[in-house]
Amino acid sequence: MSTWLELKNNPRLKKIYETRLLITRLTREFFWSLGFSEAETPLAVGYPGQEPYLNPVPVVFEEPNKTKHNFYLHTSPEFSLKKLLAAGFSKVFEITKTFRNNEDLRGLHSPEFTMIEWYRAPGSLEGIMSDAENLFKSIARKLNQNFVEYNNKKISISREWEKKTMREIWQEYLQVNLDDYLEVEPLQELAVKLGLALGGEQKNKAKYEDLFFKIFLNKIEPHLGLEQPIFIYDYPSRFCSLSRLSRPDSRYAERFELYIGGLEIANAFGELTAADEQNRRLEKDKALRASLGKPTWPVDPDFIAALKSGIPEAGGIALGVDRMVLLFTGAKDINEVIFNSVYDQIN
Amino acid sequence: MSTTSDIRKGVVIRQPNDLYVVVEFQHVSPGKGSGFTRTRIKSLGSGKVIEVTYKSGETVDIVEVNFQNMQYLYKTGDNFAFMNMKNYEQIEMNGDLVGDEGKYLKEGLEVIIGIYEERPVSIQIPKKVQYKVVTAPPAVRGDSAGGNVTKEIVLDNGLHVQAPIFIKEGDEVLVNTETGEYSARASQE
Repeated sequence: MSTWLELKNNPRLKKIYETRLLITRLTREFFWSLGFSEAETPLAVGYPGQEPYLNPVPVVFEEPNKTKHNFYLHTSPEFSLKKLLAAGFSKVFEITKTFRNNEDLRGLHSPEFTMIEWYRAPGSLEGIMSDAENLFKSIARKLNQNFVEYNNKKISISREWEKKTMREIWQEYLQVNLDDYLEVEPLQELAVKLGLALGGEQKNKAKYEDLFFKIFLNKIEPHLGLEQPIFIYDYPSRFCSLSRLSRPDSRYAERFELYIGGLEIANAFGELTAADEQNRRLEKDKALRASLGKPTWPVDPDFIAALKSGIPEAGGIALGVDRMVLLFTGAKDINEVIFNSVYDQIN
Repeated sequence: MSTTSDIRKGVVIRQPNDLYVVVEFQHVSPGKGSGFTRTRIKSLGSGKVIEVTYKSGETVDIVEVNFQNMQYLYKTGDNFAFMNMKNYEQIEMNGDLVGDEGKYLKEGLEVIIGIYEERPVSIQIPKKVQYKVVTAPPAVRGDSAGGNVTKEIVLDNGLHVQAPIFIKEGDEVLVNTETGEYSARASQE
């Protein structure tokens, strides 16, 4: 939808693209002004992340003598940026293309999309929340626009943003204490009560995560961030393979997601920096990948070595740039904010 | 039994209280987790649109809908009349179910109509539709200098769209029916 012909003929799409270019410039200026280093890390990596449900796109490099090397396009620059933390960088950001297979080609998804990640070491989740809020507010001021629009709703950016724990929002929207639903059996009973039990084969072997998100996506997420953006933090620890456990309560982990107008915009961690624990969790994810019949590769030994060498307590975040542009421009589809997207090249 | 992978625009899902036609669907993976299928579905009884999210792979009660190629004929009161291109039978579909797509219909346009128990329940129209321009105000010198690079034109089915100032009466233009916007002059594609 954002092809040269559409940009030539459709002033609305041209304006969206111009705003996109401006937003990425403003984003860079924001982080430079805070003293962040702008990093550039590889798109093609030998050992991508182990997220069980992400599917990296394979690429093959070939030398003149025909020796082949199997690589993958990264699904996130996370490992590379943490290696830079190990190298001694204390504030880094990168705006980069990321790639994920088996994704929708339109709506809110594109297999090739742009992400910004930034890390503070030393740093905390609170610090990262402030960065995200200040970034949006700074862009909004420069665009002279105090609100964004999504799903026919106006969401204030300039107002103070909300912060609530996952436990607080379960109480608010479902009137239950999440502490009582941290195991699969009680959660299954709750799902049945809400009319959200998984149908068919999945009924009797429902996984905790699937029940949790089925309830969350149907009953909670559509309400999040409709007046102003909201950070939801302290996720049940079983979801968080790259984050620290919450200090006051180890049943939860230091992770937050940012929602604006019901749309998931960013995912952040109080970064786990203990090498052995990280290695153990990544091996567990790898085993899950194998059990799902997905391709596997070793846990990146260089990443574990970087953690072993020592990284200060860090906070980090991944934020979808295309979705941020979509919110600021009121675009109707992610393909309206990406020039010559995969979808446009196919259709 | 069907699963979420059978969900498409226009299929009809049976929920405990009513039948719903799928208006939109999208895969979502909350926090890099396992996949879900989010749908916006419209009640065939009340016309109300609701959002339901399924775990991907879950069984969904999809009822059999017969999709037929039809040609749009004319509007009659609140209804739209179509002709089945195979057997030339005519059907009428209620304007509420046709919804916003109704404004893109023009005589002879080929569409796909979903039929459930002899009743039309969904309509799919082409992504781009060609129209003839019937009214286009002439471009005025200085228009583009003022930043006014488009003008409103009227198409042969009564649809109004913004188009570049060089478009004249009698031109054939393509309109993107997903956004309702001018896309290109027909000859450019």
